Amino acid sequence: MEATITKKFSLEAPIEKVWKSLSNPKEISGCVPGATITDQIDDKNYKGEVTLKFGPIKTKYDGEITIAEMDNDAHKMLLRGKGLDSKGKGNAEMTMNGSAVTRDEGTEVDFKMVVNIQGTLAQFGSRLINDVSAQLMDQFVDNFKNLLSGAEVDNSLKAGSVMGSVVKGLFKK
Amino acid sequence: MIRCKTSKEIGGMGHSMKRKEDDRFVHGTGNYTDDVKLPGTLYMDIVRSPYAYAKIKNIDSSEALKIPGVLAVITGKDLEQYNLHWMPTLMSDTQMVLPVDTVMYQAQEVAAIIATEKYIARDAREAVKVEYELMKPVVDPFKALDSDAPILRSDKEDKKDNHIWHWEVGQKEETERIFQNAEVTVKEQMHIPRIHVASIETCGCVASYDKVENHLTMYMTTQAPHAIRTVIALVAGHVGLTEEKVRVISPDIGGGFGGKVPVYPGYVIAIAASFLIGKPVKWIEDRSENLQADSFARDYHITAELAGTKDGKILATRMKVLADHGYTDASANPSKFPTGMFSIATGSYDYSNAFMEADAVYTNKPPGGVAYRCSFRVTEAVHAIERMTDRYAHEIGKDPAALRFQNFIKKDQFPYHSPTGWEYDSGDYEAGLKLAMKAVDYDNLRIEQAEKRKKGELMGIGLSTFTEVVGAGPSKDFDILGIKMFDSAEIRVHPTGKAIARFGTKSQGQGHETTYAQIIAEELGIPAKDIQIEEGDTDTAPYGLGTYASRSTPTAGAAAAVAARKLRDKAKKIAAHLLEVSEDDLEWEPGKFSVKGAPEKAKTIQEIVFASYTNHPQGMEAGFEATHYYDPPNLTFPSGAYICVVDIDSDTFEIKVRKFVAIDDAGHIINPMIAQGQVHGGLTQGIAPAMYEELIYDDDGNILNGTLMDYLVPTAVESPSWETGHTVTPSPHHPIGAKGIGESPTVGAPPAIANAIIDALKPYGITHLDIPITPYKIFKALKEKGVLDKHIQEL
Repeated sequence: MEATITKKFSLEAPIEKVWKSLSNPKEISGCVPGATITDQIDDKNYKGEVTLKFGPIKTKYDGEITIAEMDNDAHKMLLRGKGLDSKGKGNAEMTMNGSAVTRDEGTEVDFKMVVNIQGTLAQFGSRLINDVSAQLMDQFVDNFKNLLSGAEVDNSLKAGSVMGSVVKGLFKK
Repeated sequence: MIRCKTSKEIGGMGHSMKRKEDDRFVHGTGNYTDDVKLPGTLYMDIVRSPYAYAKIKNIDSSEALKIPGVLAVITGKDLEQYNLHWMPTLMSDTQMVLPVDTVMYQAQEVAAIIATEKYIARDAREAVKVEYELMKPVVDPFKALDSDAPILRSDKEDKKDNHIWHWEVGQKEETERIFQNAEVTVKEQMHIPRIHVASIETCGCVASYDKVENHLTMYMTTQAPHAIRTVIALVAGHVGLTEEKVRVISPDIGGGFGGKVPVYPGYVIAIAASFLIGKPVKWIEDRSENLQADSFARDYHITAELAGTKDGKILATRMKVLADHGYTDASANPSKFPTGMFSIATGSYDYSNAFMEADAVYTNKPPGGVAYRCSFRVTEAVHAIERMTDRYAHEIGKDPAALRFQNFIKKDQFPYHSPTGWEYDSGDYEAGLKLAMKAVDYDNLRIEQAEKRKKGELMGIGLSTFTEVVGAGPSKDFDILGIKMFDSAEIRVHPTGKAIARFGTKSQGQGHETTYAQIIAEELGIPAKDIQIEEGDTDTAPYGLGTYASRSTPTAGAAAAVAARKLRDKAKKIAAHLLEVSEDDLEWEPGKFSVKGAPEKAKTIQEIVFASYTNHPQGMEAGFEATHYYDPPNLTFPSGAYICVVDIDSDTFEIKVRKFVAIDDAGHIINPMIAQGQVHGGLTQGIAPAMYEELIYDDDGNILNGTLMDYLVPTAVESPSWETGHTVTPSPHHPIGAKGIGESPTVGAPPAIANAIIDALKPYGITHLDIPITPYKIFKALKEKGVLDKHIQEL
């Protein structure tokens, strides 16, 4: 199944500072909940792990991230990733378009992520995946803001709180 | 009003006797497969494939085997050593028990874990590491036959495509000619979606092999225990499990609906595990496994066409089916009928010509399809013809009821020979429809609808006047794996006049313990409450092919009546002996023989039975027992006239079934209360595919609604207040004139609902929507027609 996640957020920092962190795979992965870069193959290819928890289901993806395009002048990038569940329960593929523009005093960042998931996780359907992803994205934005402001970044997976806010979200609808 | 021949005390046919089996169910003392607890039982759980199509590169069970309590992890390679990794399906195709190298659908069994505790087995499932190499699956059946589609069944020698079989019936050339010259032709492409029976109890078994006795007792959720025993012997005879060494016991079943006819891999693995370890092995599916991996129903893509005159005379119908069977044809059809009885698709109408053809294909989906409360594809056939009948009526601007009256097979045309080869036994379609129209006040509904349409309100009236074909079946045409589809009854009356009767069928909620007793009570006059009914144990019950497709009353019910009549003949001889008169001087009334003209000289059936053990005539066989294997001369053809009224919210497009009237003709009814209960359940299972249920797969073969959170099974909340009634046209060839009722409502309801919804949307140019028809589908269809833009402007 395919899920598209888009996120636009504003930062009170100049674009060059934002882009420097955003375009650095090691810094950025430190903000992604549950993610770590384990190995750098070359300047465009990295190996990493992502742990996701959906209620009772916990999956760990071993994956590769490729920087397909990186335009530091236009502030645009295209990342491709693919991951295989370490226990053979599924796999995931992702393409992410990211861009940053100067807006007012600060910077506006725009993400569009298309994730294609096969296996156990796909069976949840878009109902849950979209909600959980949105929560993870919010967590990422908070982490990224902390990174820029020099505060401590905690990218451990706050699974309980993620599920909790998803459930709350469902009831609000 | 049903007139009863017997007193309430005897409780023969027509009495709404309360169900004998309900005592244990309402007291919570039913005995289901999961309630079978044997000493030393081990538990099995199954590792399933996350992918629809992949090569298995490696299975690493080392971590799982380290968990205390895990005894074994069984893979396809293990079973291969015993040649048990493949098994035959009921349609003589082949199905994997466990894969050796390739998985063919998401949730397919990959390995089995045997452990001392259920939860240890479940934990170990997570610890088995399987490496897969993904392949692009075939999900869309229309693409299965493309030249670049991967050949899924490359295990079969010479298999060069994904085509399984072609089938056709009818008058091809003549039908073609009629279509070329017809004044009016209509055509629709429709999909009868893949659904699941979703019975309350999932599938499961306890396989208990005794090494010393070399004997297997198999407790399992099966609708056809005898056939299963034979299949086990055929598959495992070579390792010593010959048929006399196998006992299949089917305990209480929490709903079958066809889903418990097939042999699932889990059963075979459990048997293999018990055979190898020598201990009982229990396997019970969880809800998602049941929904994702067990045989589905339906999944027919139908191109349906109808030709007729401008004034409403139907001339011919033509239907072309593409059947999606998943990776193996695991239908539970009779051998000669790959599309089941789809050819009943000329319905209740007097067609002189029809042509139907079907092609089946393999895809990367679970195998099937089972006859979900439908006599082998009758639901698909009825949906197609009833939808097209309405479609044609709308096309020529004629009332759908009037069009039906114009084209019905008339009462005096029976036995009626259909252009696709059936001999309809009896029916009175006009009477049924008249009664249904009266019950809904049809003419006034149409007036109300016209007024509402002026105001832009969406109200629809849908009809379905279907003919069913059940009771498979006559041995000349019907067999499963070569076994003829007769069924059996054995009646033993004890010296004190109480009885036990055993059958080759197996109730899953149909109430056999009550209805069979009533049939015997009707024939022998022994009170139904004094007759104990037993089914489901192959060591004690006579051989039969089981309960599905509304066949129990037409076959085993008939066997009960014939066996009882054999006993009544014997009773007459004993009565003549006791009363010292000639048999010709005796007359029968339920429960006793008396001398003609001297009613005080009489012997009750109880006295006669006692005499058969204590004072039987010399030269006569003692005791009071009879057995009959009933081979029906024809199928039975129940029918129904259903009318559904819907109101659709013009803002949210929520569909409300305002009224639903179901008039059924099942011939003579054994127990009106049970028959009505069957109709209520069936109608709810009819609204299910019409408005809610569909198993959805994405392009990668992921099932997107594999839990009951996403797969919408209607509950009491969604069920309208069903109004039922009946007409009685007895089957002329059935011993008690009964036809079968279980599946009629599931077959007849979906087109009534779909027709009502389309009728509501007709003013906006919508001629067809595939079921399940949801508010979103209506929204989308109206949007495509540009209706919504106008509607939104008005808001």
